[in-house]
Formats: sequence, C-alpha cells, structure tokens
Amino acid sequence: MKEKNSPLQQALLQVPLLMVLSVLIALAVNHWRERPLPLIGDWSVSARLADQEGNSLEIGLGEARQLFERQAAIFLDARSRPEYEEGHISGALSMPWQDVENAFVNIVGQLEEDRIIITYCDGENCELSHDLAAFLKEMGFDDIRVLVNGWTVWRDAGLPIQ
Amino acid sequence: MPVYQFNKRVEPMNKHKHITTSAKQRILSSPYIWAYHLCRLLLGLVFVYASYDKILQPHAFAVSVFNYLVLPDGLVNLVALTLPWLELLLGLCLIFGVWLPGATVTATGLLVIFLGLLAFNDIRGLDIHCGCFSTETTEGPAGLGTILRDIGFLAVSLYLLLFVFVFRRRTEKFSQLHS
Repeated sequence: MKEKNSPLQQALLQVPLLMVLSVLIALAVNHWRERPLPLIGDWSVSARLADQEGNSLEIGLGEARQLFERQAAIFLDARSRPEYEEGHISGALSMPWQDVENAFVNIVGQLEEDRIIITYCDGENCELSHDLAAFLKEMGFDDIRVLVNGWTVWRDAGLPIQ
Repeated sequence: MPVYQFNKRVEPMNKHKHITTSAKQRILSSPYIWAYHLCRLLLGLVFVYASYDKILQPHAFAVSVFNYLVLPDGLVNLVALTLPWLELLLGLCLIFGVWLPGATVTATGLLVIFLGLLAFNDIRGLDIHCGCFSTETTEGPAGLGTILRDIGFLAVSLYLLLFVFVFRRRTEKFSQLHS
C-alpha cells in the first residue's frame, strides 16, 4: 500500500487550493450577480458619503461657515451626550447616534424645513454623522450635509463653539 | 501429535488478534474521537452560518471590512468577496470530513487573525460592528463578548488541529501496525 502523505504535506497543498478555489468562486459569482461589487472599490471619504444617486453629502468647512453666519443651517452633533456637553459647535443641537430615536423625538420640533441640516461628529473616519444623515433622510428631511471630521476642523479653524 | 502442534501454533495468533481488535475498538470509541466529531461538526456549522449572510450581502459586508480600517482601500472589496466563500468551503470541509489538514490549518489561521483584529480595534478604541455573522448593524458593536466568543471557537479549532495532526496520525499508524 502506498504510504499516505503526512498531514503537513496534505495541508501545504490544501490550504492554497482552498484559497484559490474561494477566489475563483467569489469572482465567478460576483460576475454573474445582479449588482456586482466592483473588485476595487472607491473608499475615499467623499465616495463613502455619496447617497444612492451618487450625490455627495459632504460639505466643506468654508461653505458650512457661510451657512452658519447666515444662520441658514442647523448643526446636529452626532457624538455622545458627554462629548457634546464638553464642547460643541455654537448653537448645535445634540442628537447622539446611540440614542437617536429619543433624541429625534425631542428635537424634531426645532428642525425647520427651510434650513439646511449639517451633521457632524469627530474624526476623519467617524461614521456617526453619516449614519445620522442617512437616518434623517429616511425621516423625510432632504437638505442634509455632513461636515466630515466636523468638531476638529471647526474648533481648529477658531470658529464659534460653546 | 501434528494436530496438537497445529493447535498450539494457532492459539497465540487468535489471542493476539483478539487483543488488537479490542484495542482498536477502544480507540475508536474513546471520548477523544467523539469530541473530535462533535468539534468538527460544530465548527463547520459555525463557518457555514457565518458565510451565509455575507455571501448574500457583499456590499454591506464590504462596509464592515472597510470599517476595521486595517486593509488598503484597494483590497477591501476583494477580501469582502472572497472571505465568505472561504468560510463556506472550510465549513463544508469540516462537516463532511474532507481535506481536514488544510481545513483545520486555515480555520485556525482565520480565527487567530479575527481575534487579532478584534483585540486591536478594541484596544485602539474603534467602535465598530463585528460583521462576524451578520452584516446587520443590529448585532451591536464588537466588544469583549465577541472576543471571548472567538477565543472559544479558537479552542475548538486548536483541538481539531491537534487531533488531525497528532492523534489521528498515531491511531492510523497503530492500526496499520496491528492489522
């Protein structure tokens, strides 16, 4: 009887085979599915903040500042309550994503239809503001922007905080 | 006289055979074997279950992968597409008992990588969703519970690895020697 390969030898062959096989299946299935995932995605901040039609929700600091000075925008702070209390953009309302439904009920009366809503949190990769924007869109508010890394850029620019 | 000699020659052989069969039976019915089959099925089902939602929701799973913030952007989608199929293949290998050396090595490797990533993101305070079994964000953020769960699976996987690479090989040699 032929001596069987040792488990180590078998593993050395099987591990790469398993990987290659899964790559091939994944590519094939993705190729033929209805909405394929692009093999190399665009994960830049502006692309991630785009809505389904591809319109970016991102707003620049300059534009946000103009809206602030004309009092044409309402700022919503998506960070936690303690972080909001430590300091926030002047006049911003607290809408912590952790407790978004309660917070929404409490401040929905203060959201005026004709003012642009600008959500923000802290950090280049913070998703809270994005999640909050998506939530508000679902709630029927159309004019929403996200100020990426909002707290940091606003404070560092020396703009009004409280 | 020749009959007596014949009998005498046969007797020890029978005796010997009797001993080896019972030893073989003892090995086959030992709790280690049962634990091995149980672990194999359990881990296999875990991997198959984990792959299911990710295969159906590649876009959502890609976001989960991206949120770990460890891969270069160009690799996020490729990993998000491939990983669930690798998990499914692994799970099936474990359940049906094929390619076990390769499957146990890969499963253990994956679980170690997952554990490292979870711990890394927990330590640096990144508040992300696990994306382990479901792409739904209702699963709640990854935390200590997720890490402990992974350690549990890793223990199962290490037992299988040990079994396939050390114990099973010994048993095979033993039965070859005595059959």
